[in-house]
Amino acid sequence: MSMNSQIKTNVNALAQQQESKEQARARRTENVNTVISVILGLVCLVYIYPIFMIVVNSLKVESAISTSTAFNLPTAATFAGITNYIYGITQMDFLKSFLYSLFITVSSVVLIILCCSMCAWYITRVNSPLAKAMYYLCVFSMVVPFQMVMFTLAKTADTLKLNTPFNICIIYLGFGAGLAVFMFTGFMKSMPIEIEEAAMIDGYNPLQMFFKVIMPITKPTTISTAILETMWVWNDYLLPTLVLDIKKYRTIPMDIQYFRGSYGSVQMAPMMACIVITIIPVILLYLFCQKYIIEGVVAGAVKG
Amino acid sequence: MEKSIRKYWPVFVLPTLVAFTIGFLWPFVWGIYLSFCKFQTVNKVSFIGISNYLRVFSDDTFIHAFGFTALFTVVSTLSINIIAFFIAMLLTRGIKGTNIFRTVFFMPNLIGGIVLGYIWQILLDCLLSRWGKPLLALDARSGFLGLLILMSWQQVGYMMIIYIAGLQNVSPDLIEAAEIDGATPWQILTKIKIPMVMPSITICSFLTLTNSFKLFDQNLSLTGGEPAKASQMLALNIYETYYARSGAQWKGIGQAKAVVFFLLVVVISLIQLHATRSKEVQA
Amino acid sequence: MKKKLISALLSTAMVATLITGCGSSSGAANDTAAPAASEAAEKTEGAASEAATPAAGAGKVYYLNFKPEADAAWQSLAKAYTDETGTPVTVVTAASGEYETTLQSEMAKSDAPTLFQVNGPVGLANWADYCYDLSGTDIFSNLTSEDYALKNADGGVAGIAYVIESYGIITNKTLLDKAGYKVEDIKSFDDLKKVAEDITARKDELGFAAFASTGMDSSSDWRFKTHLANLPIYFEYQADGITSTDAIKGTYLDNYKNIFDLYINNSTCEPKELSAKTADDARNEFLDGKAVFYQNGSWEYSSLSEKYSDDELAMIPIYIGAGDEANQGLCTGTENYWCVNAEASEDDIAATIDFMNWCVTSETGTKAMAEEMGFTIPFKTAVTSPNAFVKQDQAYTEAGRTPVSWNFTTMPSEEWKNALGSALTAYAAGTGDWDAVKSAFVDNWATEYKLANE
Repeated sequence: MSMNSQIKTNVNALAQQQESKEQARARRTENVNTVISVILGLVCLVYIYPIFMIVVNSLKVESAISTSTAFNLPTAATFAGITNYIYGITQMDFLKSFLYSLFITVSSVVLIILCCSMCAWYITRVNSPLAKAMYYLCVFSMVVPFQMVMFTLAKTADTLKLNTPFNICIIYLGFGAGLAVFMFTGFMKSMPIEIEEAAMIDGYNPLQMFFKVIMPITKPTTISTAILETMWVWNDYLLPTLVLDIKKYRTIPMDIQYFRGSYGSVQMAPMMACIVITIIPVILLYLFCQKYIIEGVVAGAVKG
Repeated sequence: MEKSIRKYWPVFVLPTLVAFTIGFLWPFVWGIYLSFCKFQTVNKVSFIGISNYLRVFSDDTFIHAFGFTALFTVVSTLSINIIAFFIAMLLTRGIKGTNIFRTVFFMPNLIGGIVLGYIWQILLDCLLSRWGKPLLALDARSGFLGLLILMSWQQVGYMMIIYIAGLQNVSPDLIEAAEIDGATPWQILTKIKIPMVMPSITICSFLTLTNSFKLFDQNLSLTGGEPAKASQMLALNIYETYYARSGAQWKGIGQAKAVVFFLLVVVISLIQLHATRSKEVQA
Repeated sequence: MKKKLISALLSTAMVATLITGCGSSSGAANDTAAPAASEAAEKTEGAASEAATPAAGAGKVYYLNFKPEADAAWQSLAKAYTDETGTPVTVVTAASGEYETTLQSEMAKSDAPTLFQVNGPVGLANWADYCYDLSGTDIFSNLTSEDYALKNADGGVAGIAYVIESYGIITNKTLLDKAGYKVEDIKSFDDLKKVAEDITARKDELGFAAFASTGMDSSSDWRFKTHLANLPIYFEYQADGITSTDAIKGTYLDNYKNIFDLYINNSTCEPKELSAKTADDARNEFLDGKAVFYQNGSWEYSSLSEKYSDDELAMIPIYIGAGDEANQGLCTGTENYWCVNAEASEDDIAATIDFMNWCVTSETGTKAMAEEMGFTIPFKTAVTSPNAFVKQDQAYTEAGRTPVSWNFTTMPSEEWKNALGSALTAYAAGTGDWDAVKSAFVDNWATEYKLANE
């Protein structure tokens, strides 16, 4: 962000205007800032320590992980290399779960964005009982906790055979529609209708208009909604656990939970290896799209 | 124009409406009905009236879970927001490394609740055993603190981002003017900055409030409700009533608990909404 | 650049969704949008999906397995059956302590387990409506004794025991020798206490502890909240001449405390660390020669025999200082009853019964159950299990000792066990007292019994 430079120019401007007193004050502020930087730096190290610890332990042999030894760095005797990773991946079919998770997330988010933005546009531009009812129902659904519908939703999904990674996105669309529709309508209400009227005169039908005119305008909201929904779907545990056909499919959070106690044991080392594998793509994604994610959070907050 | 869009409703509204009905409306209505029933699976359902609800309120574990959840919600909302606001203040001073700090603080948000729970369970158990204290699964107080630390760790970054955006909207001119008038930093904070970021505070407290109240994943993986359900929160209590209790009567009770839980969330949301509105009038 | 990438990604994805229709056809979506994922799915289904087409009977089997330690063996047995007959068999194993949860959620599905298990009369009470009557089936007539069948109130056969197991204190004879004792020296609780405390006193010198950790993690706590708790219940039932009760008195709770104290105070680790100790920890301690005694059952034989020869291992009865200790045998019984889901289709029921029958009659099946799973199965066609603990149980019985029956199947609910487990964990760690255990044992029994039977 331009915050740094902005403040720098502020400081420069001040320095030019005012004399040595101000300069002294600026220097003092700078000293304070350096101290804060150092302290925050230390806090950050503490902040990432849990993740660091998981990485370290995922490289150790199982027997070297206990409540008394988990802080120790691996030694020659306890270093396991990537064996935990290999074991974790093969034992749990972890890669398969990874692909399922990825597919479920991508398909659900795309579906939610597409259907909900269309629905939101209809709600914004059409004044009918249907549109109104849809809007209020969506707002209402945002406050309903998942436990309220967990059993009946699982049963409904099962009856309609929406229990595979390939169509569970419909369930996600249904349960996640509230937030998305709400965010899109919030943005669309502020869109000037003139552009659309002009497009209408150019002979666009509503579908063409939506894809050629509306979608580009709503891009910021699209991105922020997509981010919020991605974070939800990728990390969701209970819904896929109850809805998916567990005979065949598991997602990553389910796999991690399975490491506890299934097959007669708790396998800490492979579990941590899998946690590391799970975290890495998310962090990479974050580092690449940081700007959008942060904007998304802020936009979501303004509308939410 | 409205007319032509209206004609396209099967394209624009129908997919969402169908999915919404499957994924929310029908399960919701059905769930309310089932809360008055006794059933093992939905193939054999018998209507028994409100007795499930009577059982909910005589269930000590549910009452305890409510108390624990309420206390946790209040404490975590306060701690998360105060820490996040404080860090946001520091990060809007233009110090070196602001971007790195922001990146690091936000990172835990991207990790799922189940995974976070296990990471912290390992870490906290190690610390506790090093200090010779009972482990997480043994002491509801350390379970509570553990959840608090975990939730703060996870959510501070998110709320911080919102506060930073809020603080950046406070015009520097206003602060400068106040400084010239001789306002102390404390006065600037309480009289200018906090009132100006009130919308952010409302949003953040709403988000933390509902997140904490509906907490499930972290509760399940960090403490699992141990010891003896003492650290069990409402969502987990409902889940366990439903799935871990065998016997037909429990399903209906679980569903009734879920309805009560839902009503509680609605009440909290309404109070929050009311608060937001009144703030907006002031502003 | 990044922006372009993202918009390209988004638009590709959208086009893909558009082509396949807005969420209408899932099959198509899978073909176009995720070839990798669908390929993976096909692999998962593996044998099952290939076998689904041939005309080898229309039924299929879905077995929800209770025993995590036997998961691998069941998977390969299921595969062998599918290879032989073409009937698809899916085996899903619930995580330790999660069986009831998994069963509840799976039974609610349309594709519910065709074969599941209950732990005895108490478990049956919840699922009686869902149990297919097995009387008149081959597998029922193959039972060595009708006692191994679980009968409904109306006399129908609801469940069939498929494994008889024993548990006791597994002993490392070599280490016991080093400490200067023999298995024969331990004939009562007092003997056990003397030996254990002597080993603890010389722990540093010997380099091992008496008992492997009494882990109270959910992967291990059933050894104490269920199996060890069986002994005070058994002796109370014996004394009162009953086989079940709506209110336990807790006559032998002091004995329960004594044995539990002995376990936790003469262990490889501090009592307060026990809450995080897992089943693996205890097993590994025993395998690594860090402990002489390890309370567990015959099902552990396959993992222990990898390291120890039969001569090095023994299983001794769990003496708690009650009853006739001289004639006390191992705890032998079953909590594993197979039930067939009555709501499954007729084809599936037939296929499931065939599968059960095959498991306990065919050469492959009986061999796998005896050798790989280490089971003693109560069927006429059973082959002798090489399991040393099973043999030991037979030897005890032949020597005139009375096996301790498995009365924990009469525990009123899972909830009762969990509450007892929590109380024991807190007691071991010093954060709770024995009164809480007593209350969890006695008071909660009545409460839970009432809840379960209203």
